[in-house]
Amino acid sequence: MTVLLNNSFINRVWKIKSRYLILIIIGIWTPLALIFKGMANLELPTYQNTFATSAAGDAAASIRGNRTKSTAFIYFFNPIRAFINGFVELIRMLIATPAPNSIIPVLGWLGVIGVVAFIVFATSNLRTMLLAVSLLIGCGFLGMWTFTMDTIAMTLAAVILSLSIGIPLGVFAGLSDRVLKILTPFLDLAQILPTLVYLAPLALFFLIGAASATIATMVYSIPLSIRITAHAIRNLNQSPIEASTSMGATTRQTLTKVQLPMGKKMIVLGINQTVMAALSFVVIAALIAAPGLGKPIVNALTIRNVGNGFVAGLAVVFVAIMLDRSTSAAAKTKISFVPPTAQEIKRRRISLAIMGIITVLSVWLSRNVLWAAIWPKKLDVSNPISRFTNDANDWVVDNVRIITVTLKDFISNYLLNSIETLLAGSPWFITVAMIYVIALILGGRHVAILSLGLLLVIIACGLWYETMVTLTQTLVATLLTMIIGVILGVWIGRSERADKILRPFLDAGQTLPAFVYLVPMLGLFGPTRFTAIVTGIVYSIPVVVKIVGEGIRNVSSTMIEAATSAGSTAWQIITKVQIPAAKKSLLLATNQGLIFVLAVVVIGGFVGSGGLGYLVIVGSSKPELQGKGLIAGFSILLLGVMIDRIANASARKYGN
Amino acid sequence: MNQHNTSSAISVRGLWKVFGENPENIVGSTDASLPKAELLAKTGNTAAVRDISFDVAPGEVFVVMGLSGSGKSTLVRCLTRLIEPTAGSVLLNGEDILTASPTRLRELRKSAFSMVFQHFGLLPHRSVIDNIAYSLEINGMKKAERHKKAESVIELVGLQGYSQAYPEQLSGGMQQRVGLARALAVDPQVMFLDEPFSALDPLIRRDMQSEVIRLHKEVGKTMVFITHDLSEAMKLGDRIAIMRDGAIVQMGTPEELVAKPADSYVADFMRDISKSHVLTLKYLARPAGAGEDTSGLELPAETIILEASKVILESRRPVKVIENGKLLGIVSDQDILRLLAEETV
Repeated sequence: MTVLLNNSFINRVWKIKSRYLILIIIGIWTPLALIFKGMANLELPTYQNTFATSAAGDAAASIRGNRTKSTAFIYFFNPIRAFINGFVELIRMLIATPAPNSIIPVLGWLGVIGVVAFIVFATSNLRTMLLAVSLLIGCGFLGMWTFTMDTIAMTLAAVILSLSIGIPLGVFAGLSDRVLKILTPFLDLAQILPTLVYLAPLALFFLIGAASATIATMVYSIPLSIRITAHAIRNLNQSPIEASTSMGATTRQTLTKVQLPMGKKMIVLGINQTVMAALSFVVIAALIAAPGLGKPIVNALTIRNVGNGFVAGLAVVFVAIMLDRSTSAAAKTKISFVPPTAQEIKRRRISLAIMGIITVLSVWLSRNVLWAAIWPKKLDVSNPISRFTNDANDWVVDNVRIITVTLKDFISNYLLNSIETLLAGSPWFITVAMIYVIALILGGRHVAILSLGLLLVIIACGLWYETMVTLTQTLVATLLTMIIGVILGVWIGRSERADKILRPFLDAGQTLPAFVYLVPMLGLFGPTRFTAIVTGIVYSIPVVVKIVGEGIRNVSSTMIEAATSAGSTAWQIITKVQIPAAKKSLLLATNQGLIFVLAVVVIGGFVGSGGLGYLVIVGSSKPELQGKGLIAGFSILLLGVMIDRIANASARKYGN
Repeated sequence: MNQHNTSSAISVRGLWKVFGENPENIVGSTDASLPKAELLAKTGNTAAVRDISFDVAPGEVFVVMGLSGSGKSTLVRCLTRLIEPTAGSVLLNGEDILTASPTRLRELRKSAFSMVFQHFGLLPHRSVIDNIAYSLEINGMKKAERHKKAESVIELVGLQGYSQAYPEQLSGGMQQRVGLARALAVDPQVMFLDEPFSALDPLIRRDMQSEVIRLHKEVGKTMVFITHDLSEAMKLGDRIAIMRDGAIVQMGTPEELVAKPADSYVADFMRDISKSHVLTLKYLARPAGAGEDTSGLELPAETIILEASKVILESRRPVKVIENGKLLGIVSDQDILRLLAEETV
């Protein structure tokens, strides 16, 4: 008994102390950083290679040289590439690129709209169908029809391939603990891997273009589909499954007759998530020459034309809403297993027949009449929209300059610069030592040693300085995300009305590809690291708010009633009851926030955020820096693992 | 109790279920007799079922009663190998279930025994008739044939008119009727019922208990019935086994349990049971005292006291209790009044 008491006593003292310990460490670190500023911080000019980056560059060159010679390529990579390329081109030919012996795809625009209308009507309802059709027409008016079709074709190809791998594996992982155990590390890694990281290595093996973009998209979306399918199978009501076994059903019979029918709804929800993940990746995959809406966005970002970027970005938003609504309506209907009555079935058959006739008609028109085949130039309003956006943006930039510039300067000068001085400005050994101690306090000895190892590998690779720049931006963006996220999360957790107001924005925000956010932020804040940070914040706020809100809402009402009856004010309830009780959710939200922010901050390399992301992007366009780009991607991965492990361990340590 | 009784419908000997790592090391070791918490602290194992042996005669309703955590649900799952037991043997009509191959086990499950679950375990995506026909379907029976069979069982459990309904459209009581029908559909020799009525409202529970009694009379299946409700056990059981911490504390007819509780644990349970409702005249019969009138009415020894009380109280002379044609003793109105007075305290 006394031992127990002593332990908990020590723990308590240690917990209180750890907060101050970190402050003490920063207190020691700051003068050191100021004294040794710029010394031994391992900063390298962009064009200078290190041992590791030249080695990676040589390796890349030899891989490039072996594409037609090595057996690995002839029997493995090239056939995969050929198969996927063929599959993607087949789907593109249906809706995007000219079919053989023709100047138009198999389906012209009217035909595509007809087919989409039919599918959406058949799987959900009239309202969703009208929404989908208007959004597609909207893409046409934006002058983005072909790009849109390319994006949809790429997404479709990647989703079909991902699901055909992900669902069976997910079912396996759902049924067998061993399979789940084997898959879990890969699933975890995939979740923390920033999207930018695997584009370059995949392009190295599969060339740039549609095939490697599809493979990259699959790498991103398969884990998601495995996870959700396994979850769907595992979280079923166990009682009918046990009953089925007790009646002598084989594992296979129980799976096909009980588990799959019962888990169908959840698996469909998984398809929705897979589609949205694939879409967001397909847009970013424009960086390795994926066809589609990402292309005009990349071009617009490169020439800093906000108007053009806005038009393409808007089309992405349309496609995202369309795909999300039409794939989630099926899953969101009331959970009931009762089939429709005979009369309902008859009514439905009639309406489907009518829709079918309209669809066939539109397909026929789109294949035989020019105006229905190729989107008419007269119906293209992209130029006025682009011009108007540019004007509006100029006006905003001129007139709210005080706000945007003040905000930008304030955060850049005070937060960013001071943290960057600590992390990137100090001599490397001081920073490494400090991170080691902080990891020790936050997560314990194991994580501290792991972090030390990862940091030393990064140093050996030669991209230490850039890594610290990226870490600075990630930390600052996450800090701001958490401040805003907790405020909004507490708000929606406490008020039904706030939840109703914010929920649609959060849902929409979560479905948009990160790339799309860069455009308006670039317009407002120009090509700076601040743009990357703001984009990261905007991108990760929805998930943080949702997790925090959920945590606050789940605090037991008895606890709140007790606090209220004791005479607490609303502020006291929030700070003394709800936030402490929702600590676990807050830690989880921080972890998620860090990972989301890191993924976006590195993409910010595109708009002048510097750091590792910039090296990855430069590396993909300049052959002599390819090695550096690859190593930068690798460093992002190591940084991501370190951040995730520390956050995870501290959540375990302080979450209970 | 080491020899199996081959004439039993079910014969269980030395059955163990230990959860945790290396469970087989626990069985037969000195640790096996440790209390639950000590065993967990020492080895990290939990013995959910400890050395259980019993026999169930054909057509008997055998009730296993215990509080939550006593191991009764684990026990019933070990009998059907939904949970693999750690040690012991289970004979069903003389055939050892625990050594049966997976194929043979499935065959037995399809035909020889069936189970009714606390949370019904109905398939939500199937209509009532397809739920009932499920086991016939996996048996490979043709649709028309299995629906015909299912329809007959639907009638048996009083679900006429509901064959096309879906589980979510039915009340809890109705859902469990489907569960019963499903278990009856394969015409099993033994039915295992795992707290089938615990999730139901008290009034509906009473209806369903009567329903089971009626079904048992009609179809005469051997039943192993798990419950935590003593009155349910008393009402349904030909014999009752009381479980505590994975072991059987006492086993016997309701009358035996009430009349001679094996220990204070069982006695505590029986405290709320009205003796006059359960015990027979045999319990009250005593030798006639000096000068007592022995020329009264004769009543069979197996008459429930409550049922006999009116006759005895109205009779001016003590009643003679007869068992197998022999005089067992007498019961006077004083004896009845004393018993009733004890109950009302």
